[in-house]
Amino acid sequence: MGSKPKQQDYQASDGEKASASVAMAEYTYFKQKYDPLLQKMRDDSLGTNDDKTLRGRANADTMQALTSAPMAQQAMSGQGSEDLAQAYQGQLGIADKSAEDIRNKKQMNVLGTARGQASDAQSGMAQAANLATSEALERAKNKQLVSQAKMTAIGQVAGAALAQGMANKQTTGQKMGANGMGPPQEVKGSFFSPVNDAGQKVSGFNNRLAFSNIFGGG
Amino acid sequence: MLGEAALAGLARQNGGQNGGQIGGLPNVSDPEKTYANITRQEYLDYVSQYRDFEEQMITEAQTDTSLIDASRENAQIASGIAQGVSDRNASRYGAALTPAQAQEQRRALERGNTLGSIQSVNDARIAQRELNQNKLADLINIGQGVNRSSLSQMGSAAANATQRKNAYDSAKAASKAQTMSTVGSLGAMAIMAFAF
Repeated sequence: MGSKPKQQDYQASDGEKASASVAMAEYTYFKQKYDPLLQKMRDDSLGTNDDKTLRGRANADTMQALTSAPMAQQAMSGQGSEDLAQAYQGQLGIADKSAEDIRNKKQMNVLGTARGQASDAQSGMAQAANLATSEALERAKNKQLVSQAKMTAIGQVAGAALAQGMANKQTTGQKMGANGMGPPQEVKGSFFSPVNDAGQKVSGFNNRLAFSNIFGGG
Repeated sequence: MLGEAALAGLARQNGGQNGGQIGGLPNVSDPEKTYANITRQEYLDYVSQYRDFEEQMITEAQTDTSLIDASRENAQIASGIAQGVSDRNASRYGAALTPAQAQEQRRALERGNTLGSIQSVNDARIAQRELNQNKLADLINIGQGVNRSSLSQMGSAAANATQRKNAYDSAKAASKAQTMSTVGSLGAMAIMAFAF
């Protein structure tokens, strides 16, 4: 007969342990190194550094394009300022739009990454729930198996006892009269005690063992 | 730093689960619980660090008028700069404008500035709408991904619950059948024994 299952036989393999350890180490590293970076990017994306840079660039571009050449003619005629004003506004508008576009992209990247992590967490939780469920089911199944085995064992014991009791009742013996006179009387066994050929109840462990003839006897 | 706080919290939650290190690597004795703790912590991190940020984005995507506001301010700035350039040039080249020329120059500048401002504000409106719509679309995209993930998670939980219930019902029925079978066997045996 095989021995009982041992819990240590069901431990994780060395490979699984190493895999879990490495995963934990990588997670820890990620949280220490990359989480702060993502938060920094989040804070940067709310700032206006890009606006300043791009507006400065727009200003420089406009002035380089429209004021680098000699402007004597314009100065004498008093014309051209309106073109400069319009161009300048146009360039600043483009700079503002580009800056906001960059800011939006940064923000979406940050949010997408953060949400991606949370999303991974959710799917991870679902997997953890799956694992827990299969484990719970396995546990319940095992419990059920044990319960059924107990019930079967009880049935077998009770059946055996009933069968033996019935066999006991079937035993008969011839018992002589009280004074040794008269015809022998037939005696039947009871449920709990059989009778031997002499019509005597078999009681006690040794007598029952001998009567059962379980070891052969003779 | 969030990372440190989260890790400290995780370590507290895991308690003795991951005690000690082996060769510089943490010892994970209960991966299932550790996994559950990590995923829960990730969600809590998101709520504490990015939820407000996300809500601000959603509001901005629907109400942001910063480009339009900036374009109005730009008109004032541009007017001042153009006037300054004009004055400096006049001074530099020794131009002496007649009062009529000076007035015409002022008018031209005002006219140009006004036209530029109108153009600039209109462009800004279009640009603002485009940016806001793109932002909203990106947000919805992200939200939809999260929603899909959440529904998948809920579906998984529901399937697990159904599986558990079915397994329980099945086990209950099997147990009842086993009991009835045992009782039946005993009864049959008793009847056979007593009848004969």
